[in-house]
Amino acid sequence: MKSSANHQRKNLLNLSGATARLELKRFLKKLIQGLALPLVVIVLWEILSDLGRLNAYLLPPPTLIVDRLMTTLGNGELLKHLGASLSRVVYGFSIALCMALPLGFLLGLVPGVRNLLSPTLSFLQQIPAIAWIPMFILWLGIDEASKIAIIVYSAFFPIFLNTLYGIASTDPKLKEVAYTYGLSRWGLITRVYLPSAAPSVFVGMRLGLSFSWRSLVAAELLGASKGIGYLIQEGREMAQPDLMMVGVFFIGLTGLLLDFIFCHLENRFLPWQEKVTTQEVTE
Amino acid sequence: MTSFLKIKGITKQFKLGNGQIQVLEDICFEVASGELICLIGSSGCGKTTLLRIIAGLEKQTTGQIILDDNVVAAAGRERGMVFQEPRLFPWLTLEENVAFGIKGKVNKTILQRTVQDLLAMVGLSDFAKAWPHQLSGGMAQRAAIARALATDPQILLLDEPFTALDTSTRSKLQTDFLRLWQSTHKTCIHVTHDLDEALILGQRVIVMQPSPGRIREIVTVPFSYPRCPENPDFIALKKRILDSSVSSTEIQI
Repeated sequence: MKSSANHQRKNLLNLSGATARLELKRFLKKLIQGLALPLVVIVLWEILSDLGRLNAYLLPPPTLIVDRLMTTLGNGELLKHLGASLSRVVYGFSIALCMALPLGFLLGLVPGVRNLLSPTLSFLQQIPAIAWIPMFILWLGIDEASKIAIIVYSAFFPIFLNTLYGIASTDPKLKEVAYTYGLSRWGLITRVYLPSAAPSVFVGMRLGLSFSWRSLVAAELLGASKGIGYLIQEGREMAQPDLMMVGVFFIGLTGLLLDFIFCHLENRFLPWQEKVTTQEVTE
Repeated sequence: MTSFLKIKGITKQFKLGNGQIQVLEDICFEVASGELICLIGSSGCGKTTLLRIIAGLEKQTTGQIILDDNVVAAAGRERGMVFQEPRLFPWLTLEENVAFGIKGKVNKTILQRTVQDLLAMVGLSDFAKAWPHQLSGGMAQRAAIARALATDPQILLLDEPFTALDTSTRSKLQTDFLRLWQSTHKTCIHVTHDLDEALILGQRVIVMQPSPGRIREIVTVPFSYPRCPENPDFIALKKRILDSSVSSTEIQI
């Protein structure tokens, strides 16, 4: 047994060194694969624009958009709007977390409360945040409060529902193990329910962030003096499609970056999760 | 022989629709301190239910379980349980899993020493920092045994712990388990449906039969350890137990 154990340990150690290299290689490969399609589209787009096949007003060529991007970046305008949008997200998302996490835990742990609240919450969940924008403006004014309310509303449900699901789906077999050690109710919550729900909570936070980012831009389109949504609106009013495209492009890019950061946090805080190595079969 | 664990007239009924199912009927036996008992029977004979009642995970309908002069009413740390699946906490490393039952109950030095000793005992010292999903089935089950021993329980309850393993891993774990029992002299109740396993491990084998679950016979195994399943006496005893069953299909070999 001893020798086989040693052998297996060596495999395990070798694995960690090799995994790092393999991971970098896989990451680069994924990056190249992921960028291939956008690059092809952009090159085609540019060529067709240069040939005069595309209406430059309806669809400005990539070079023009990049020009505009550089000037808005250069004069700090883009970063100002981006900063405004991001700070709204930070506020709204934090408030949503403070509401959704405790409520999700509570409803996951106490099924009685679930029956009381879930019909109402299911009803509210059906209403998209954007539908609330006019009402929120009426109640909270055109300023920051209404926009933050939109973010809270959008982020709340994914975080809440995934937390609830994570807690409620805690493996009864593991609860039984904890039970044989005579754990208290509190011990059971902190040492079994919470760690077991953590991956779901992370999924909820990622979704919530993505949802809130999207609806924020919608809120900014309807009435704001700064923010990425406002930038797009400005582009429309001044008939500058390249500016609109810069705004749209930045929404996607920022969303992608936020999600990327969250993925990394998840890998860092939940190292125990079995990595689903979706390495494709090549050849 | 002083009895350490007394099982007194345990019955168990489950409600099923409007009717009731008698799962266990008048189970009585006693276990001496340090004894290794195997509980065997086909599936549906209630052997797992009986073990879960002893563990305090299920309530008997009538009867009493007395462990070291205390009546067993609920699950407790003095009874260590090993399940059919390893049931390791996936978010804890192997050493954290083993430490689960004693964390916060003993000081850090003792905790570390206990965990190290237990991991060494089950041959997993090199894997202290590994995550459960990195282990093979046999390693995970050995870790589960170490975790159950961490609280230094008065009795170790094992519910078909080797059933899910392949044949060679199973026989290796049987040998390891026997050595572990010989060095710790823990009182053990080992549930299995494998008659070979029961006769390899048990000082006594309690044979159960189904509908309703009851004890057919209690066999004292006369062979010394380590036992060889190819030994003619071993085969004769196995045949005797099989023949005495109403139909030989009751126990899978």
